[in-house]
Amino acid sequence: MTSLRIFAVGGLISFRALFHWLAPSIYIPSLVVAPLFQILLFAYIGRSAGLASDEFYVVGNAIQYAAIPCLFAMTNIVGGEKFQQTLGAILVSPAPRLPLFFGRAVPVVVNGAFVAAFALLAGTIVLGVDIPASAIPSLAVVILVAAFSCTGLGLITAALALRVRETAVLTNILFGFLLIFTGANIPLDDLPGWMQNVSDVLPFTHAIAAARELADGASLTSVLDLIGEELLIGLVYAVLGYSLLRFFEIQGRRHATLDRS
Amino acid sequence: MRTLRLLAVGWYYQFKAIARSPFEGLFQVIYPLFFATVAFLMFRAGTDQKTLLYASLGAAVMGMWSATSTTAAGAMQRERWHGTLEALVASPPHFALILLPITLAMSTVGVYCLVATLLFGRFLFGIDLTFEHPLLFALSIVGTVLSFGALGFLFAVTFVRFRAAWALGNLFEYPVWLIGGFLVPLVLLPEWVRPISWALAPTWGMNAIRESSLGGTPLPDLVVCLALGAVYLTIGILVLERVLAAARRRAALSLT
Amino acid sequence: MAVVEAIDLKRTYRTSTGTLRRKWKDVEAVRGVSFEIEKGELFGLLGPNGAGKTTTIKMLITLLIPTDGTARVLGYDVVKDAREVRKRIGYVFGGERGVYERLSGWDNLRYFAELYGVPPHEQKKRIESLLELVGLKGREQERTEGYSRGMKQRLHVARGLLHDPPVIFLDEPTIGLDPVGARELRATIASLVDAGKTVLLTTHYMFEADALCDRIAVINKGEIVAHGTPSDLKHGVAEGAVVEVEVFGLPDGTVERVRELGGVRSVSVEEREQAQVLIVQTGADVELTHSILGRLNGANVGRISRREPTLEDAYVALVSEE
Repeated sequence: MTSLRIFAVGGLISFRALFHWLAPSIYIPSLVVAPLFQILLFAYIGRSAGLASDEFYVVGNAIQYAAIPCLFAMTNIVGGEKFQQTLGAILVSPAPRLPLFFGRAVPVVVNGAFVAAFALLAGTIVLGVDIPASAIPSLAVVILVAAFSCTGLGLITAALALRVRETAVLTNILFGFLLIFTGANIPLDDLPGWMQNVSDVLPFTHAIAAARELADGASLTSVLDLIGEELLIGLVYAVLGYSLLRFFEIQGRRHATLDRS
Repeated sequence: MRTLRLLAVGWYYQFKAIARSPFEGLFQVIYPLFFATVAFLMFRAGTDQKTLLYASLGAAVMGMWSATSTTAAGAMQRERWHGTLEALVASPPHFALILLPITLAMSTVGVYCLVATLLFGRFLFGIDLTFEHPLLFALSIVGTVLSFGALGFLFAVTFVRFRAAWALGNLFEYPVWLIGGFLVPLVLLPEWVRPISWALAPTWGMNAIRESSLGGTPLPDLVVCLALGAVYLTIGILVLERVLAAARRRAALSLT
Repeated sequence: MAVVEAIDLKRTYRTSTGTLRRKWKDVEAVRGVSFEIEKGELFGLLGPNGAGKTTTIKMLITLLIPTDGTARVLGYDVVKDAREVRKRIGYVFGGERGVYERLSGWDNLRYFAELYGVPPHEQKKRIESLLELVGLKGREQERTEGYSRGMKQRLHVARGLLHDPPVIFLDEPTIGLDPVGARELRATIASLVDAGKTVLLTTHYMFEADALCDRIAVINKGEIVAHGTPSDLKHGVAEGAVVEVEVFGLPDGTVERVRELGGVRSVSVEEREQAQVLIVQTGADVELTHSILGRLNGANVGRISRREPTLEDAYVALVSEE
């Protein structure tokens, strides 16, 4: 029961902390306006280069952009707390770690999904892209899974935030990799073999593929395998991230590095 | 004369301080390369060398703009964070003469971005660089840096009241890339967007650089680019007067 | 004509609390401060933290606009002729920040030398002699991010003197310095005055003000509560006595009860390790030790002493008044 409470309360606190950090003056430019412009940018570049349809870029970039809220928020939950020196207090608490860290992840996932969903909606309206209404619920599922998967990666960056100071650089670079490798803007078939191998293990790749098929009218059942793969990737990252967090935590206690910022 | 000296010396030391910071220096160069890679991969479908060079130049100027837009808006905030803002305001020169070198130093980092992107395109994607008007190419780069610095100055004074000034600066990264016609010919954009494009110095700087490489008439573009820069600077100075007066009244100079 | 004139300076801040429902509050940091500093004087502005010293000095160096009142430096109004004032003053604010960390000490000074209009052909010479003066010679090529706090402080001093200003403002310059460094800095400040400069120094160290200053103004809660030379201030408390009682666990209300005693001038409490020391300043001919003990409600008592007042006591009395 306590675990559940820690999960829920931790999540709530994380949520409030998240939105304190993400004041409207940051939220709106970064998470509402920017993704829409990214979509427009690549849609028009696509037109300029004589490539695929607008829908390709809308779906791809809407989902890829969720990397910003998912990675940044998750990293800041640790980086921010470290900054506020409360991490030490939390880590000496007897609270079981699993609900502690995962409780904090839930608002991040939900927020990330909202950002992607809004971007998708806005992009389709502005560019006049047709997506069947029947696809919307399935798309919601895919977006949620995508956000989960990237937040899993965020747990790893959050763990690294315990040791590295310039986490913003790290997350921005990850964002850049996700821009290139996930098929958000370049069809996977057009990438050389070694790059495709990398794509396969990154978040978003399978979700974007699934979302594109759904937008073209495919049924949810036909993309279940893609969704499953995305979920699996997310889980692997989450487990890795969690292990890394525990490892650094123990290391930090041993070498007194927890408060180093 | 003394004014020019002040600007030059200020620019020199501020550039030194910025370029030495890994976050503000090195990272500024690496980050736009991701977008350049996407652009190259997208344009590679058509193997026309001219198209690829078009993409390379566009991506290079995207990097230049990125260096300014992500940093300039937060220039005053950055000084405040260093604890140097008070010292700067309390010194005799008009604050514009102190702030402009800072934003110019930030936009000078853009030259690193430009060079890095062009080299990146050359060595990883085999894009050959041509310079139809080499002298004008160099001058266009200088002109673009100057006008970006002026635009950055305008951002810095306009967004100084906002705690998250950097977020607002970032807000202008994508739109200028798109509307400046760096990788998208303006003719593809809706008609109502074009006047906005024409009012942006980046659009003209891009044209000047592109035409001095691929061929065309870069000089008029360069002149318009610089003229717009002068306009931004003037507006910026007017805004600055009001901002500083308000800050001294509100005691907002040392708040972090 | 006085070099620095402060005439009824006032400064009120508006602060807000809360994010959703903002509540605005007016804080009067400076409530009518007036003083004059003559040429060649070393003037001390003495007061506890939060008394308004920094706010006052910021108004004088043109960083803050007074909410009311006027100030003039060398005849120039700090609001209307800010630029003229800035050319003629140097100021030294201490602290870890305020330098460009990725630049060397030399680069920092070169930059500010240019800002302050030091003629180019003189900059090198001037910077070198200042580095010598503040004791940073040999370290000037290192990045300031590697400087200790004391070194940064000395760099601040060098920066304040770059353009050889006739008037210098120092805000708590020795804070955070080790005793040797602080002593050297005080010697430097004294030598500046010997060279004919006018100096305003803020501090909360009584002994520093006593040792250095020609005249002192004591400021507390935004107002000047005493004004004069160090000897003037000492005379204020020369007749009298100070009773110190060490108490383990001072009961509530003791200060008020003791204050009610006849002949008591002021009561203050000092925290020392595990005890509190009750410091009572009384008139000269009164013997109050017994009565004071009686007001302690049976609390455990350690050492009791009765002594002559010092300038420090004068200061404490001035700033602990309710």
